[in-house]
Amino acid sequence: MTQFPDLTSFSLEAVLTILGMAAVTYGMRLGGLLMADRLPQHGRWAHVLERLPGAVLISVWVPSALSAGAIGIAGAAATVITMALARNLFAAMAVGMVLVGVGRYFISN
Amino acid sequence: MSRPGQPEKHPESQPKTGHFDSDTIRRGALACLPLLPSTIIFGAVLGVLAAQRGLSLGELLFMSLAVFAGSAQFVSVDLWRETIPSATIIIATAVINMRYILIGASLRPVFRGRPLWVKVTGMHMVADENWAVSMTQKDLANPGFLLGGGMFLGVVWATGNTVGYLLGGGIPDPEVYALDFAFTAVFAALTIGMWKGRVDLLPWIAAAIGSVIGHFTLPGTWSILVGAGAGVVVAALTWREDMDDDSLEAEFAVEGRNAYGAPEGKNSATRATPAVETGK
Repeated sequence: MTQFPDLTSFSLEAVLTILGMAAVTYGMRLGGLLMADRLPQHGRWAHVLERLPGAVLISVWVPSALSAGAIGIAGAAATVITMALARNLFAAMAVGMVLVGVGRYFISN
Repeated sequence: MSRPGQPEKHPESQPKTGHFDSDTIRRGALACLPLLPSTIIFGAVLGVLAAQRGLSLGELLFMSLAVFAGSAQFVSVDLWRETIPSATIIIATAVINMRYILIGASLRPVFRGRPLWVKVTGMHMVADENWAVSMTQKDLANPGFLLGGGMFLGVVWATGNTVGYLLGGGIPDPEVYALDFAFTAVFAALTIGMWKGRVDLLPWIAAAIGSVIGHFTLPGTWSILVGAGAGVVVAALTWREDMDDDSLEAEFAVEGRNAYGAPEGKNSATRATPAVETGK
């Protein structure tokens, strides 16, 4: 009768799947924090925990810069340098994105 | 009224700011503003995909707010069929989101000294983006700031989903405006703010090498786990007794407090932190 997209129907299957996804995700978010709370506040573990955010962050963006090709690597380098000099997130992002956008327009890797 | 930050003598024993001050929530939301265009476009791309895969808009929005993890949602919606492969989708979600164990662990200083209910309520709206932004805020690193960023991203994400779902296409290709690169750029830029001194150098190099190796040898987001794992191992191996910083404030002291030109960059309050010397 209608071709209009189905907006509000909830199938039981879908809701259960989504709840499962939500449970594992939230469980890992909270579980990570509660586990860290049990680690010592000093010494080797505290030191490791302090290095963790940087290590995670680097592991998130280095591969994605790489998979964006040479222009991606150049864009990431420009972003990092701008941030180190200007300490401004907007400026750093803008420089990297403009470089990548323009680079793609001209080079179309 | 509560000025966030200004950690006095023992910020860890008695958090100065409230758990979820509206003031801090607002600031957390504003700090994620640079991510608005790319979040809305990627949200719209997911909306288009979801409409093609047969999710209802309600189901998609429910997923976006209950799961709240972009990359896992893309894979899940892509796997979605008439008969939903629930087990596959949940397992894929778990694998892709395994990094949240590490992200959760690294949020310890943000939740230090807070009661359990704050952790339980504050840990849901944690995406990579508002986590990274919060971790580089010195004075503002508290649950409200994190939640503010999460709520902002959640609303933008869900708005993008709705727009994409209803338009069913015609969304600009994120690559044309380098919007796909926005996420790489924000994480790369925020890395600068996480630099605490020379102690970070070797773990960071290890993380970079590990993630690159993982990227070329393993599928999906395993590279994040490989890289972070390499960083953790090197950090553990390079630790020496004498580099232990006894001040508990060390974990609060993150350089790059002026990263956003934030008015909170109160230098008088931040100068007291000795963590920069940790490398000695």
